[in-house]
Amino acid sequence: MTALRRNATIAWAIARKDAIAEVRGKQAAVSTLTFAAVVLLLFGFALGPDPRRLADAAPGLLWLGLVFAGLLGVGRFHELETEDGALEQLTLYPVDRRSIYAGKAAIGALAMLVLGALLVPLVAILFAVEIVRALPVLSLTVVLGAIGFAAVGTFYAGVTVRMRAREVMLPLLVLPIVAPLLLAAVKATSAALTGDPLGELPAWLELLAGFDVVMLIAGAGTYGFLLEE
Amino acid sequence: MSDVGFVIAGYGVILGGLAAYAALLLLRLARERQHRPPGDNGA
Amino acid sequence: MKTRILGVAALLAVIAAALFGLYGVPADLNQGDAQRIMYPHVASAWLAYLSFGVTALAGIGWLIRRDLRFDAVAVASAEIGVLFTALAIWGGMMWARPVWGVFWQWEDPRLTTTALLLALYVGYLLLRRLSDDPARRATRAAVVGLVAAVDIPIVHFSVIWWRGLHQPPTFLSPDKILHPSAPLPFVLALVGMLGAFTLAWTWLLIRRYQLARAELAREDAVRGGLVRRASAAAARPGVAARPAAAARPGLPASDDGGTPQPKAPAEATQ
Repeated sequence: MTALRRNATIAWAIARKDAIAEVRGKQAAVSTLTFAAVVLLLFGFALGPDPRRLADAAPGLLWLGLVFAGLLGVGRFHELETEDGALEQLTLYPVDRRSIYAGKAAIGALAMLVLGALLVPLVAILFAVEIVRALPVLSLTVVLGAIGFAAVGTFYAGVTVRMRAREVMLPLLVLPIVAPLLLAAVKATSAALTGDPLGELPAWLELLAGFDVVMLIAGAGTYGFLLEE
Repeated sequence: MSDVGFVIAGYGVILGGLAAYAALLLLRLARERQHRPPGDNGA
Repeated sequence: MKTRILGVAALLAVIAAALFGLYGVPADLNQGDAQRIMYPHVASAWLAYLSFGVTALAGIGWLIRRDLRFDAVAVASAEIGVLFTALAIWGGMMWARPVWGVFWQWEDPRLTTTALLLALYVGYLLLRRLSDDPARRATRAAVVGLVAAVDIPIVHFSVIWWRGLHQPPTFLSPDKILHPSAPLPFVLALVGMLGAFTLAWTWLLIRRYQLARAELAREDAVRGGLVRRASAAAARPGVAARPAAAARPGLPASDDGGTPQPKAPAEATQ
């Protein structure tokens, strides 16, 4: 129990450190958010002005925007560490590697949550979607999606850290892996928005939660090997 | 294109792809063994 | 020598299975000749999945034993897996067009899953290209191969649900063709193709493994192995010839089906 608490404290410290650095830096947050907003605008142009079609496509566009912007953000928290050899120092501490992973994943999930909290209303405005009624379920979907994406993104950011062509490799590796997450999250979102007439919402939320659990375990179990290098 | 056309395309590319990969693999293997590090040739 | 015999056997088996699938088996009642593509398509898909399973297991082997021969198996299996995945997708498309009227059937979970599989493992191979240090490359590849293997079943089930929660499948799926009541020639053609392709896969895996070992040995020689050898030879003239044998250790180990021996030569692990 005490070991668990110790690991949680370490994870908390790492997440806090990154959060502080990010809040002080600001420019990364602003650029990521602007990127997401521009992506959503371009989706609108690509699909044309038909309001029906845009409303139907809104759940998919929301999650594509979140995933693309999230890719920018997640690499960021590892890039911070490579500057000034901070990662080497971090691995020298006698701490459980899983707590480093947990800290990184937690801050990644938090960043995704903030992004989601801003993008959901933006999608509602741009694509004329009524979200107020669906807000509780929508929030749960965003939380589950954020955790899953952060679990995968943190792991692959660790894989590609200090690698040549990492800007290309990170999306290339992450996108096929998060395909089930995207699929389940889009389905859950659109079920939430339409009042779930088919009663399929629980199944998609379960799939999302299952994805989160599996990827967190896989990430925590293998992340330590990456730091040994 | 008739069904037979698709069958030919299917078998042709699959079998041809396997054969091409196998040939290329043997070529790569032969080339790699020629590139043996200096001083190794006497082995 | 044994590998060469295996290669000839695989070649003959594939030719025989292809001829049987094209001419020996009667055309399917519902699908006509188009159904003949099913045999190499399903065989390719089976070997694609087998390859990625082997890659994941070899990755675990590397993480536990730290023997680069496991990594050589992993890269060999992944590259061959990418080949068979691409061939399976091609076969699936050539089968889907005459039967379903489209090249890409979004509602078929197998096709969609296989496409993601291809992307996953092309990424795996690229990742290896971008890492220079053998041990680091092996570790990165091992964990990525593991996570990818864990992801595949989730992808598969999510795509099944994606379709299944909407409408029941109405099209012909390979399951129905492989039904126990299928006539014997069909079963024979499929089993024959599976066997022939598996033979070919085994041969390819052994040869690709040998190539991986040879590449590793050359890399090792390039990066300071020469220096080490020179000093070792100067210190003990009697064993000067030994590094030469170790530089291509894939040769003596070649006929064991690519299975790594528990103990690595010093050259590979350092």
